[in-house]
Amino acid sequence: MKRLLSSITDGKGFDIALVAFPLGYLFLMSGLPLLYNVVMSFQEVDMFSLGSFWRPFVGLKNYRDLFAQPETLPILYNTGIFVAASIAGQFLLGFGLALFFWTNFPGASWLRGLFLVSWVMPGLVVGAIWNWILSGDFGVLNFLLRETGIIDGNIFWRSDPNFSLWAVIIANIWLGMAFNMILLSVGLSAIPKDLYEAAELDGANAFQRFWTITLPMMRSTIGAIISLGLIFTLQQFDLFAAITSGGPNNSSNVTQYWAWDLSFRQYDFAKGATISVIMIVFVMFASVVYVRSTRHEVRG
Amino acid sequence: MSETMRNRLMLATAIVLAAIYLFPLYWMYITALKTGSAMFATPPQFWPSDPQWHIYGDVWQSRNVGRYLANSLLIACGAVALICVLGVGCAYVLARYRNVWVDIGLFLILMLQVLPASLMITPIFVGFSQIGLLASPRFAVILAIAAKSMPFFVVLVRATFMSVPQELEEAALVDGNSRIGAFWHIVLPLARNGILVSAILIFMQAFGEFVYSKSIIQAVELQPASVGLNSFMGPNTNEWNNIMAYATMYVTPILAIFVLLQRRIVSGLTSGALK
Repeated sequence: MKRLLSSITDGKGFDIALVAFPLGYLFLMSGLPLLYNVVMSFQEVDMFSLGSFWRPFVGLKNYRDLFAQPETLPILYNTGIFVAASIAGQFLLGFGLALFFWTNFPGASWLRGLFLVSWVMPGLVVGAIWNWILSGDFGVLNFLLRETGIIDGNIFWRSDPNFSLWAVIIANIWLGMAFNMILLSVGLSAIPKDLYEAAELDGANAFQRFWTITLPMMRSTIGAIISLGLIFTLQQFDLFAAITSGGPNNSSNVTQYWAWDLSFRQYDFAKGATISVIMIVFVMFASVVYVRSTRHEVRG
Repeated sequence: MSETMRNRLMLATAIVLAAIYLFPLYWMYITALKTGSAMFATPPQFWPSDPQWHIYGDVWQSRNVGRYLANSLLIACGAVALICVLGVGCAYVLARYRNVWVDIGLFLILMLQVLPASLMITPIFVGFSQIGLLASPRFAVILAIAAKSMPFFVVLVRATFMSVPQELEEAALVDGNSRIGAFWHIVLPLARNGILVSAILIFMQAFGEFVYSKSIIQAVELQPASVGLNSFMGPNTNEWNNIMAYATMYVTPILAIFVLLQRRIVSGLTSGALK
């Protein structure tokens, strides 16, 4: 007993105690729910069996039912579009801004930091603001697009099935662009300046320098940012709740919103768990890519 | 073109870009000051001719904004306190050693960081209801948020501990300090700034958290401001000036903290997330 105590104040026991509590907590609060999720996806769960642990197992029935539903494929397709368009928009605009601020002028770093306000704002507030900006008859975006002659009539961003998903994508690009830019700026500033000087002496123009120095040097940063973007866009829930609620008629629904909707709007917890399991596998895959691409950096 | 000309030109472009980017925020503040008819005017007014300052007071009263914000504050403070108590020690150990166990721990933590809240809420909700945690819903939300955000906090704070020289701690041990003493009196004070910035980042996230609160907290008087804002926005709402006033009251404290601590927050974020 005494040895145990002294090891906690003075030896390895101290470290183990410090790590054991948080890891135990994470296991209880994240690990167990994860396993429970998988178990539930093989069970029949309804409002009556919600309170008991012993529910009838139904094998793969939930998975079969899920893919038999007509809305499943469109929603998966929406998720793909949402992820691809959001990441492309966030990355390209973020990269453009990062390159612009990289040219370094007085006030650059302060102004660059200011962009990050979008990232610290509550998602619901961002959603509310964009909901109002994108509103059909009185939205300011429609006004600006009309005035500049890009569109003739108003676009009903939230209620037109052709545009509802894009309404959320626009808001999500705004939300995530600054984060991309900040991380890309970090990557850019790590490129040694003398590489550019040497290339300039050799007569390479700006485009060639970008193509042969900047892009190859940024490869691991870009990989990390794309996989982080994938992780973050698959986490995006608040904007859907605040702008379209997945509607109209599921035209802007994506899996992460649908899983919640199944569980907490339609009280079909088993289906909610099933779709969660499928998506979590995807996210895990993305995170392995992310961890691999940052490995040398994280380990310091 | 001279150097100063170039700098001025770049600065002007940067300000224009920032103005475009921050326009949604500006639009929120402006809309909150408009009358019902000014709000729906075509063309829209980009500067309110007749600012309605009383909207703030009205919304504060009618929507119980104070109660919502108090709940948000309680949840965010609870989550940050729990995360700090558990996470700081974990980050310290993960920074101090480099062996295969630390790598495994880090890998697990990074994997947990990526689980989307809206996918995890189904098992968490069912599990919590089975062990009776839903009777104290705000506490349940604090527990869930802490589990969600702790990995991020650990990664950020670990980067801070890595920059504390180990020699200082070893010197304290040679001078007769216990491990606890050295940790408490030497390492923690040196890492204080980084821990504080990470805690603020976590606080901002928890302050705006929505999925867990929306699903777990049913009683209106216990809900945080994000859920309140959600129920304020019906499907066919037209009180946008009131909603924007609500959003303004919700988001302005966070924006104030951010602008004040911007430099530290940005550097803290970048050091942990990628570098």
